[in-house]
Amino acid sequence: MTERNGDRGEPPAADRGDVVIETRGLTRDFKEIRAVDGLDLTVRRGELFGLIGPDGAGKTTTLRLLAGLLKISDGWAAVAGRDLTREPEAVKPHIGYMAQRFSLYAELTVMENLRFFSELYDVPPRERAERTDRLLSFAGLTPFRSRRAEHLSGGMKKKLALACTLIHEPPILLLDEPTTGVDPVSRREFWDILTELYTGGTTILVTTPYMDEADRCTRVGLIYQGHLVRCDAPEVIRAGIGEELIELQTDQWREAQVVAKDLPGVSQVMTYGESLHLLVDAAEDRLPEIEAGLEAEGITYRSLRPTRPRMEEAFISLVRDREREGLR
Amino acid sequence: MSVRHLRAVVVKEIRHVLRDRWTFILVLVTPISLLFIMAYALTVDIDNVPIAVMDHDQSAVSRDFIQQLSAGEELDLVARANALEEVERLLVEGTIKAGVIIQPAFGEDLVGQRGLRLQVIIDGTEPESGTFAMEQVARRTEAFVVRSMPSGSAEWLRPIELNVRALYNPGLEPRVDLVPGLISMVLGLPALSVALALSREREHGTLEQVLVTPISRADLLVGKMIPYIAIGMINVVAIPIMAMAAFGIPFRGSFGLFFLLSIVFLFAMLSMGTLIGVFMRTQPAALALSFLVIFFPGFFMTGIFYPIAAMPDELQMEAMLLPGTHYAIITRSIFLRAVGLEILWPNVLALAGLGVVFTAVGAFFFKKRLG
Repeated sequence: MTERNGDRGEPPAADRGDVVIETRGLTRDFKEIRAVDGLDLTVRRGELFGLIGPDGAGKTTTLRLLAGLLKISDGWAAVAGRDLTREPEAVKPHIGYMAQRFSLYAELTVMENLRFFSELYDVPPRERAERTDRLLSFAGLTPFRSRRAEHLSGGMKKKLALACTLIHEPPILLLDEPTTGVDPVSRREFWDILTELYTGGTTILVTTPYMDEADRCTRVGLIYQGHLVRCDAPEVIRAGIGEELIELQTDQWREAQVVAKDLPGVSQVMTYGESLHLLVDAAEDRLPEIEAGLEAEGITYRSLRPTRPRMEEAFISLVRDREREGLR
Repeated sequence: MSVRHLRAVVVKEIRHVLRDRWTFILVLVTPISLLFIMAYALTVDIDNVPIAVMDHDQSAVSRDFIQQLSAGEELDLVARANALEEVERLLVEGTIKAGVIIQPAFGEDLVGQRGLRLQVIIDGTEPESGTFAMEQVARRTEAFVVRSMPSGSAEWLRPIELNVRALYNPGLEPRVDLVPGLISMVLGLPALSVALALSREREHGTLEQVLVTPISRADLLVGKMIPYIAIGMINVVAIPIMAMAAFGIPFRGSFGLFFLLSIVFLFAMLSMGTLIGVFMRTQPAALALSFLVIFFPGFFMTGIFYPIAAMPDELQMEAMLLPGTHYAIITRSIFLRAVGLEILWPNVLALAGLGVVFTAVGAFFFKKRLG
């Protein structure tokens, strides 16, 4: 084990039974790019862990590495107590992995797909009928059991994929952007299902590009350019970004945007619907200065008040910190 | 190996073949129709070859001879030329494939038994019809001379007479030889299908979902091959029946042996297709490579059209690495010569060996990974 990554930390001791997913310096290189770069991640049993980041951040690669679908270039990873660098096949019975793309057989029916995966996962024939029935009703697919997968709606396809992933009742779920490209209602339903699974004790690692979904996770890892920028409970991340948020509502938001950028203490101006969000170092202290600055430029506003930062602002702030560090 | 995993893959793949219209056509309809088309197109009987005659003799004998030339279906007298330039022009235009030039004193010389003053010009760019015309002119001239001479006095025309008997194909019909050989070609289509099926799973992402299950690589590859071997067997039964019914090809050997050896061939061929599917990530790439390594060599190097013995030594070696070469020998031997395992065993061994090697290489390079 020392020749693999002597300086990147030790593989876990046998007594760390609570940790079900662990990576140390996990790295994956493709021809031109390093998609995952020294990622250290720890997920404990029973967590609903959200891996959040923009497209191309390395979320899919990380999940594929954890599912044994890609070879680890450097570093070390273990899932369900099995070392992925040594025995990737041993991990497979313990995980349910759902790819980002719809990857079931389009010309097979809902039932046939479930049956296929139940056989590949060695579900005992006695339990098969009961389990498929339960999963079908769980996913709301019972009326569509004889429908070919290609004729399902986008949201139903995702639910079928999840049902196939759950057929062997895996203790660990790896879900790659399960809600991307799904309508808001289906998205909500999908998260309700995930919450139910989480309540039932399943450990879930889910990736998403949607920052608002982070709040439904117990813990969130922000991933950017293959690095884990921050990893904490969502409220801690939102509170602890070191910056605060001021919401500005004005009819002159174009002008306000230009003016606000140069006001003291303002690090970032973002449009948010009809209002502007200003990231500032300290909201209460800067409020009078910002008020004065806007009035000096003749900008009238309906309201100007401190507000709670959302995950998105938190993420952008963290990424900017990261970039600044990189420059130094 | 897990029987349950294997069965799951086989059932899934059969459903796919039956439900995907194009796969169904490719594996079940195309082989037989392709054999039909090729058997017709590649063995067209040459008939009615257009010729011109230039008669410098203008005698009763020469007119009689011309009459003899154009009798029957084989040659079609379409023009009479007065000058050599005219014959050339007709050849260039493609109006005729051969010109027969009757020299002056043709009749006199014939009657006086001084020889035959006859010239035939053929279009060398179309040797098939050209040589056919030449043979026909020679045969008719001979018949004409024999008929117009007193009996026995035409013997000088044919100093040596061979009594040739063609065994197994008495009429030397090209189709009788070709159709059994072509079977190895059309049974390449199930191999193409399995290559496409494997690369399609990569393209559509379905492979990703299967690779995260505990299935073994061998179960996945073999499970994928079995349905196409089974479908190939349907063709193996249907094709001899069609060959006999539509083309009158004799089937003299043991059908049971043919069936068994066809399974061995399909195994070799399908493992070649699987190997292609293992390496090619997209269906167009799999298709292109299949044509490169299955169909082109299958056409030109397996001895279906050109005898292997006539190939350069290096190519003969390569030909032996193609399953089609061995199967073409097997099909021709069983169809036409009623030969059994006592003669064919080296070919059977070669097919089995090729299948095992291809499958082993495929399983070695097929990783349960993406990219």
